[in-house]
Amino acid sequence: MAEKKRERPAFNRDIAAAMNTHYRDVQTNKPMAYTLMSSNPLIEVAYAAGIQPAFPENYACICAARHASEEYCETAEAYNYAPDVCSYCRNNLGYIYGPGESPPMGGIGDPDLLLLTTSACTHYFKWWDALCEIYAKPLIYVNTPRVMEPQSVPDYYMGYAMREIKGAIADIEKIMGVKITHDRLSQAVKLSGDVIDYWQKLLELQKAVPCPVDLSDLTNALFVLIVLVGTQEGVDLMKKIYDEASQRVAEGKGVLPREEEKHRLVWINIPFWYKLGIFGYFEDRGCVFPFSDYTQYIWGTTRMDASKPLESLARKALGGELNTSVDDQIGKLLKDIKDYHVDGVVAHSNRSCRVLSVGVLDAVKIIREELNIPAVVLDCDHTDERVYSDATIMNGIDAFLEMLG
Amino acid sequence: MPSALEQMSSSVRDAPAVLQEIKNRTGCKMIGLFHPVVPEELIRAAGVHPVRLFPYFNELITEGDSYLQTYLCSYLRANWDQILKGKYPYLDGAIIPRSCEAVTFLYQTWKRHNPYQFIDYLNVPWKVSDNAISFFVKELGRVKHDLERFTGKEISEDSLRNAIKVGNRNRELLRKVYNLRKAESPPLSGLEALNVVMSSFVLDKEEHSGLMEELLTELARRTQGPQVDIRLLVSGGCVIDARLWEMIEAGGVSIVADDVNNGSRSFWHSVEETTKDPLEALARGYAKVPCAFNASIGDRFQYVSEMIREYKANGVIFAINKNCESEKLVYPELDKKIKDEVKVPTLNIETDYLVDMAPLRNRVEAFIETLRA
Repeated sequence: MAEKKRERPAFNRDIAAAMNTHYRDVQTNKPMAYTLMSSNPLIEVAYAAGIQPAFPENYACICAARHASEEYCETAEAYNYAPDVCSYCRNNLGYIYGPGESPPMGGIGDPDLLLLTTSACTHYFKWWDALCEIYAKPLIYVNTPRVMEPQSVPDYYMGYAMREIKGAIADIEKIMGVKITHDRLSQAVKLSGDVIDYWQKLLELQKAVPCPVDLSDLTNALFVLIVLVGTQEGVDLMKKIYDEASQRVAEGKGVLPREEEKHRLVWINIPFWYKLGIFGYFEDRGCVFPFSDYTQYIWGTTRMDASKPLESLARKALGGELNTSVDDQIGKLLKDIKDYHVDGVVAHSNRSCRVLSVGVLDAVKIIREELNIPAVVLDCDHTDERVYSDATIMNGIDAFLEMLG
Repeated sequence: MPSALEQMSSSVRDAPAVLQEIKNRTGCKMIGLFHPVVPEELIRAAGVHPVRLFPYFNELITEGDSYLQTYLCSYLRANWDQILKGKYPYLDGAIIPRSCEAVTFLYQTWKRHNPYQFIDYLNVPWKVSDNAISFFVKELGRVKHDLERFTGKEISEDSLRNAIKVGNRNRELLRKVYNLRKAESPPLSGLEALNVVMSSFVLDKEEHSGLMEELLTELARRTQGPQVDIRLLVSGGCVIDARLWEMIEAGGVSIVADDVNNGSRSFWHSVEETTKDPLEALARGYAKVPCAFNASIGDRFQYVSEMIREYKANGVIFAINKNCESEKLVYPELDKKIKDEVKVPTLNIETDYLVDMAPLRNRVEAFIETLRA
């Protein structure tokens, strides 16, 4: 079956333009900080401090989408970073050791500072620690506890996270010779909150039938939610995305026309960045993905209050799927599968993302038992294209599609 | 009467039977622990017997694979597999520390599969700042409260202070045993030292300390250690496969020091006995345990390089478990620093649960040949 050409939402062009601007900025703007994407409260702090954040994880996605990751992973392996280390890390380390003549988007510059939170994958701390050794630049990190029981978080968790952020702000001010005023921080938190509000409304729109926006469009929009959070540019762009999606719902316009939308699926875990066309394969067979845990539960989950910037940032650091338990993820999935009228599960068992993958087998088992819907588990990698086996993956998908009917 | 060393070695070899015997004899509850970052003193003060959880080397992973993917640490998969198969009948629960993703996963999965057992999660901070210590104290206070509910008995300040004393004595004796390996002819091998440490994860601490006192007397009587021309330090996460230690030490080679979870990392710290709040003393002591996931590369280098110098190691073997992301991310920079700054050659071998030793033996032998050249 030939893949059909579909009209993508116009906001993708605006996101592409914003990406171009961002990647120009991370080559030229100073001071610049490598900033971890995942639930990192120091993104807003960096913008408030006038520090340009750059995001090696996002860059790994871009490199994978442009099929440059394979080479970077190989370079990192030549520098002793083993193939069983996360491919985001290997992509970044490979890029550092051998960027090549024309790195995707022109590459990212050398950092003046490293800004991390521990509320993501455990080994990220080691990745940034390695960067600290390689660049000999200060590493400032917010150490947050993992929240295993989100329904009964001990009071002192919040106090600890707030003091950590306060300490990080003081360190940034001291090291970089900048002053992060309460007003500037509040403003960044306000803008962050505005982006999140539009994002949450966008996710609500995805419940509509037909589904207005594809998962690859949503993953594009994540760029705004993560990279531009805390900027006016981010607010304007997310509003534009929301407005267009809203318009599509009002017009009854979907990724697929209503009569062609046969199945609504959930994608668990990170997509294969080098193979985003896979969503087109599903669409050609009447399947859309209104949501994914990856787009839904990691970022933009915390409502921000500009009058309480530290508290808001602490909530951000403590929240999010990467800092919580498997049961919490499963509970959310069970609810959202119903709310988004989903009738099938595609789960990526992602060897490079342990934090999102350790519970995948349990999640699929429980979803099958409780909701009695078909599911497939695809064993692959988000960035290292060498792991992808077309025959194996497509076999799994085709068998799953047959089950769906 | 078997020697102290024989008693310790057999307690490691026959750990399931030994633990079951302790449980039958004392009637005490037993709690499993992963990694050296959980203060055992808190558990012992509750009258509970702590057991460091390692897989037994006699079981193919079968049931565990439907929960934990093959790209996760095989030791943990084997552990979970054996838990599912009821291989730890003496256990009444576990405390899961913040560490790698696979260990964290066990918290709720354990709860789902063993709903009547005690299960707790301990957030160990990755800093030693005042803020981090104050957080750790509160976290230990919460776990203390959970343990009290579990046993139905209050953990008194006296019992906690006593447990700290017992723990400190045990760690001090372990360090004394390790110190003997600084000698030109170490009186005990790396494998023997491994058994000494591993038995401390099985036996009652005071009993273990008593055996170590005896061991120190026995070792003083050993007139001459084996002739050793190659002195190695082993670095990795859980390097628990005795076959590996035995293989490395063949023919004039001695592992004189280690930087592993089931070795020095478990007892290099001590806990202040005079601090007003014993929980704070525990927090300050255990926040310094240098595991791969919480200690910086700089701190790890300091730890390893001091050991290389003190124990006069002339080579380092990194024995890192397949799929241990934290250790593998630390390795390249730590390795570079050791080679550049301490000028000691290194070898990196990948280990795995039930790994075939033959290919590893080839590489180790080649490395040792280069050290001798």
